[in-house]
Amino acid sequence: MGVAVGAPQGGALGGTQAHAKDGSAGFALAKLEELVNWGRANSVWPLTFGLACCAIEQISAAASRFDIARFGSEVFRASPRQADLLIVSGRVSNKMAPVIKRIYDQMSDPKWVVAMGDCASCGGPFNNYAIIQGVDKMLPVDVYVPGCPPRPEALFYALEKLREKIKAEEKLGVRE
Amino acid sequence: MTEKLIEKLNAKVPSALKDHSEFRGDTTLFINAEHVRDVASFLKDDEDTQYDLLVDIYGTDRLKLGQSSPRFAVNYELYSISKNKFVRLIVDLVDPARNGNGGSGKFGEPLPKVASVTDIWPTANWLERETYDLMGIEFENHPWLQRIMMPDNWVGHPLRKDYPLGGEPVYFEKDRNNPRFAHLGKQIMAGPSFETELPEEMDTDGHMVLNLGPHHPATHGVLRLATELDGEKVVRVTPELGYLHSGFEKTGENKRYEKFIPYCDRMDYVSPMNNNLAYVMAVEKLMDVEIPEHVQYVRVILCELQRIASHMIWLGTHAMDVGGTPHAAPLYCFMMRERILDIFEMVCGARMTTSYFSVGGLRWPLPGAFMDAVRAFLKEFSGYYHDYHVMLTKNPLWLSRLKGIGILKAEEAIALGITGPLLRAAGVPLDLRKVRPYCVYDQLDFEVPTSTEADSYARYTVRMEELQQSMRIIEQAMNQIKPGPYRTADRKVALPPRHEISTSMESLIHHFKLVTEGYRPPEGQVYFIGENPKGWLGFGLISDGTANPYRLRVRGPSFVNLQATNTMARGGFISDLITIIGSIDIVLGEVDR
Repeated sequence: MGVAVGAPQGGALGGTQAHAKDGSAGFALAKLEELVNWGRANSVWPLTFGLACCAIEQISAAASRFDIARFGSEVFRASPRQADLLIVSGRVSNKMAPVIKRIYDQMSDPKWVVAMGDCASCGGPFNNYAIIQGVDKMLPVDVYVPGCPPRPEALFYALEKLREKIKAEEKLGVRE
Repeated sequence: MTEKLIEKLNAKVPSALKDHSEFRGDTTLFINAEHVRDVASFLKDDEDTQYDLLVDIYGTDRLKLGQSSPRFAVNYELYSISKNKFVRLIVDLVDPARNGNGGSGKFGEPLPKVASVTDIWPTANWLERETYDLMGIEFENHPWLQRIMMPDNWVGHPLRKDYPLGGEPVYFEKDRNNPRFAHLGKQIMAGPSFETELPEEMDTDGHMVLNLGPHHPATHGVLRLATELDGEKVVRVTPELGYLHSGFEKTGENKRYEKFIPYCDRMDYVSPMNNNLAYVMAVEKLMDVEIPEHVQYVRVILCELQRIASHMIWLGTHAMDVGGTPHAAPLYCFMMRERILDIFEMVCGARMTTSYFSVGGLRWPLPGAFMDAVRAFLKEFSGYYHDYHVMLTKNPLWLSRLKGIGILKAEEAIALGITGPLLRAAGVPLDLRKVRPYCVYDQLDFEVPTSTEADSYARYTVRMEELQQSMRIIEQAMNQIKPGPYRTADRKVALPPRHEISTSMESLIHHFKLVTEGYRPPEGQVYFIGENPKGWLGFGLISDGTANPYRLRVRGPSFVNLQATNTMARGGFISDLITIIGSIDIVLGEVDR
């Protein structure tokens, strides 16, 4: 499926035909699938959602030193309806689990989940009555980030991995 | 003093006192259950005692202590602000009639009962609810005895000794469809937890009940506030907690003493150093260990750095919530916090979860560049400190959102058991570093900032002044610190140096015993309180002489301080509720534990 758009640069896209002489914007040819994935992968908007210690590192990642804006994910959305990415940053308790499930259900497709830190990935040090041993018991997790808590750089690495995954999505990411 | 107290107590409330004991400087009075309220009123109101601050209430289950009856006891930790004295009351409860061992805490089984002291110390409200929830002790005439940490439909009381720790094995295989893992995930509760009950007096027909949280950017975590509104006016706020309940106390009771230190980091995760300090000092108090002076100074320096970092989080998030300087203040604050985290990383390798203090000293010596790094930080921070003042102190938006908002008077604050900057902003100069100095705080010159306004702006000024005092403390400690051993020479507590292990058989044995078995503190009960950035962090330890604590109690300052939300927010606007939550400075990891 080919489509022509008025994008000036075609780095991430297929064939490019810029007007070399007058410098004006040319057009680019790309598969719709690739184009959509390209757009999605470079503007992943996370949900403003923090649970425990990892949430503080998540804030640090958004602050000026680490600057998550370099990866196009600085737009933290407070409403699940506007967010693409749920970063589960912390331990998930039995009481919180249904709430997280509901938040995930409220997010509109396409949506991704990053389990940030050991607790969200597998329960971490809290193997007891209160904590669910990994958020993947209830949500489909795309990327797991090890660490207790992971450094902001580890979160960025997870974003990079997620980007690779989004770019490789087929059928416009529609999941059966 | 204790003799006088006992004499007077016996005269006023005869036959109430069963016994009394002294251990490591803690006075304990054993009280008969039927006289709890009389003794409580006497201790609070008598002019010689004036125990006006109820610090903590927690239950004990003696099932595995070789004593089956009476099985349950309730511990009350009291403090008198004017006399600067602590006392502990232990009340043995009569076992419930139907089955002698107290039952397994299932629904419908009778619970041991004791009279509520909520009307004597209003702060008892949540503490008693927590004890009911986790230990299964019923408080008679409590205004609203509901579960507070666990979901409403939870079965059992987790802190009882016959309740298992829980958990499940975690497999790391990728195969989700493998029937071997079908049993996993059963831990998830069936019912929806967001439909918890509201207090009966809430007028859900005439007023609008707005649900704030547990997913809300301004609640600083997973806190839920059920807010009853009349127009835009707040009639009543009922905080609903437990969304981050992680079972710290139960976990600690199943680990050796030193293995709980990393868990402390994850409670108040913006001030792990202070948490570590309070915990290791509680264990050191239990074991009566002497700590070298060099260690004390290092602990003070790191804890004050942590206090600055914690206040930076508070200031940044508070300014962002209130909207005086959208996004500029948090970025400035996080910048300075990053500098402190760099120092921590240099010291112990971790940014946030430090676990640097160990029982008996430090985990390893300070790195050589530490002093220079701290000096450089102080120099840079004093410039930034000026910037914060320029950004906020006279900012008209900031003033209009904070001045006169969330007033909490001194007497209300004391009744609600409030500690830390909130209490000092109400004019009570209560700072444990000053009134009962630990570490080397008595050798350092600093002031306890207070204010009499008792509103959100007063809390802001008090905390800003505390930043200044912390800088002063660090500077003095840096000048006074002398080189010395980084841990105690007591081989029963701290590991022997590496070179000794290869030359001395005795050291090798000590090393082997410590690593494989840990230390065994003597039997007894202690309670230690540290002055954290947010208030009093209390650790209660009951030892049965084994390497695990028999009972580990954590009193989170945010948990108790959060109880004042309703008092502060009542009658104000809903938008001011955000200011109030920000000015309390809560961390949900510590509220829910």
